[in-house]
Amino acid sequence: MNFFETLFPVLETKFNVEKDASAHWDHSVIAKASVLRDLITFLKNDESSKMEMLLDIVGIDYLGFQDYEGPRFAVEYVLKSISRPGNRVRVKVFVSEQDLEVPTISDLYPIANWQEREVYDQYGIIFTGHPDLRRILNHVEFEGHPLRKDYPAHRRQWLSTNDFLLPALEKRLESKGYKVVERSKEVLPNEDEYLTGSIQE
Amino acid sequence: MKVIAPNGDKLNLMPLNIGPSHGATHGCLRYFCALDGESIVATVGEIGYLHRGFEKMAERGTWQQVVPYTDRLNYCSAMMNNIAYCRAVENMFQLELPERTKILRVIISELSRMADHCICVAAAAQDLGSTTGFFYLFDSREMMMVIWEKLTGARLTNSYARIGGLYRDVYEGFEEDVLAVCKQAEKNLSDVHACFDRNRIFLDRTVGIGAMKPERAIQWGWTGPCLRATGVASDLRKDEPYYDYETYDWNVVTGTAGDVYDRLMVRLAEIEESIKIVRQALKRLTPGPIDIMDPRIRVPSHALAYQDIESLIGRFKSVYEGVRVPAGEYYYGFEAANGELGFTLVSDGSGKPWRVKVRPPCFTQFAAFHELVEGSMLTDSVATLSSINIIAGELDR
Repeated sequence: MNFFETLFPVLETKFNVEKDASAHWDHSVIAKASVLRDLITFLKNDESSKMEMLLDIVGIDYLGFQDYEGPRFAVEYVLKSISRPGNRVRVKVFVSEQDLEVPTISDLYPIANWQEREVYDQYGIIFTGHPDLRRILNHVEFEGHPLRKDYPAHRRQWLSTNDFLLPALEKRLESKGYKVVERSKEVLPNEDEYLTGSIQE
Repeated sequence: MKVIAPNGDKLNLMPLNIGPSHGATHGCLRYFCALDGESIVATVGEIGYLHRGFEKMAERGTWQQVVPYTDRLNYCSAMMNNIAYCRAVENMFQLELPERTKILRVIISELSRMADHCICVAAAAQDLGSTTGFFYLFDSREMMMVIWEKLTGARLTNSYARIGGLYRDVYEGFEEDVLAVCKQAEKNLSDVHACFDRNRIFLDRTVGIGAMKPERAIQWGWTGPCLRATGVASDLRKDEPYYDYETYDWNVVTGTAGDVYDRLMVRLAEIEESIKIVRQALKRLTPGPIDIMDPRIRVPSHALAYQDIESLIGRFKSVYEGVRVPAGEYYYGFEAANGELGFTLVSDGSGKPWRVKVRPPCFTQFAAFHELVEGSMLTDSVATLSSINIIAGELDR
């Protein structure tokens, strides 16, 4: 309880955050996207908070939410401290439908890479600066963002083939300092085959 | 594919796909490696083969209707997910549960944890070629399955917790069955240790393989046995106790090296700790109510519904409208078998959840998989994968 009461004024003066009125049972602050990276860096490294672990990144779509006025989407970062067990805080950033952009924090927490991919996949929110913003849970050919409130739950899509991971593997090799001289021909299917896949309608 | 290594060597790497349907990729996941001979140079993972839109489904029904969906998250310890979800919702109501319910939830959680760890270590043993160890562990797990069957009617995807209580009270003879499981599990554990502890093959395949540093594990968001195996004594049952875990006498198990061996041994040791907790909890179990008395939250029992009209209305309303969880947003983390199972819940005050986001513990563990296996042999990736206990149900949701 007390850690947040001491932490919040610091955040308020430094990053101009406000308390999230909807968090009745835990601690949450609302921040602007422009200060997000500084705020998360501060929360991660500063002695007063030490939020070493990023537990989750949550997307929320408020389309049609009762008595709600404001940007349509929100991205929430759930942080917790390991060195001070029990200290948790959430950081919420509102994202408008026109803008859809939030800076990435995947360089601060490696796990954010996948978690941001998930939010992108489900809500279509673009994390600027993300090294590899691809779909993660949904199929590579999937169109639309299924957790948006205006995506009908019963919609079906025809999906034909596996995610072809070779480009991702080459990217991974290059990030480790390898240089790809010749791509693997045997596993690279031709363009037509890749589009239709082995499953025929 | 031909590549130039950072040291200038020219290598001819072989891309090799493993999974999604492969005996070693438990559940349904896929990783794609670039191999230099038998050692892995780089690997990328792909998940989502078991994605069934849990979070979208949860938004369509009432709060109670999410409970059976949560069984399908970590289906090796299904009831623990129910308890985690119900506790998250109950916290939003700020409910105090009856004493008996709390103790029963502790017993069920710990038995589920034991079953989950049994499966993880058994599957790892099987992947390494030890069928004997597999059967020792599955023996005690099978006894738990029989208890689940008697308790809920289902073996695998069983749901027992309800918002504000439990599905029903335990059957007659439950305590004896649980004690018998504890006794058998202890015996099986000593057999398993006899199989593994001085087994050259097992040690060669596990010690020093797939190691993770504690700082790195924290950055990757690891929780649960995998984090504790690296030496970080982080356990929500101790750090943020719930259901009176602080009053039980037990220890947090930690490893030192964070390798495959530590991860498996931490799990085996946690089974012992869980047995301790279960034994203490059974002693505290006294007869009493299991549901809270509030028809707005917990459905009135059938017996009452047939007697008075208020209870009948209560049943109808809670089925059709769902429980009206106070509006607001909440994150709750629960120490599940695999690590911190988190629920981010957004309520608009109606009977249906606006948003249910699951934080699956093994998502973070599989995200770091490439760091564990790059540089090691292909066969070690199989041992590593089974030691981080990927349950595709919660990984892909």
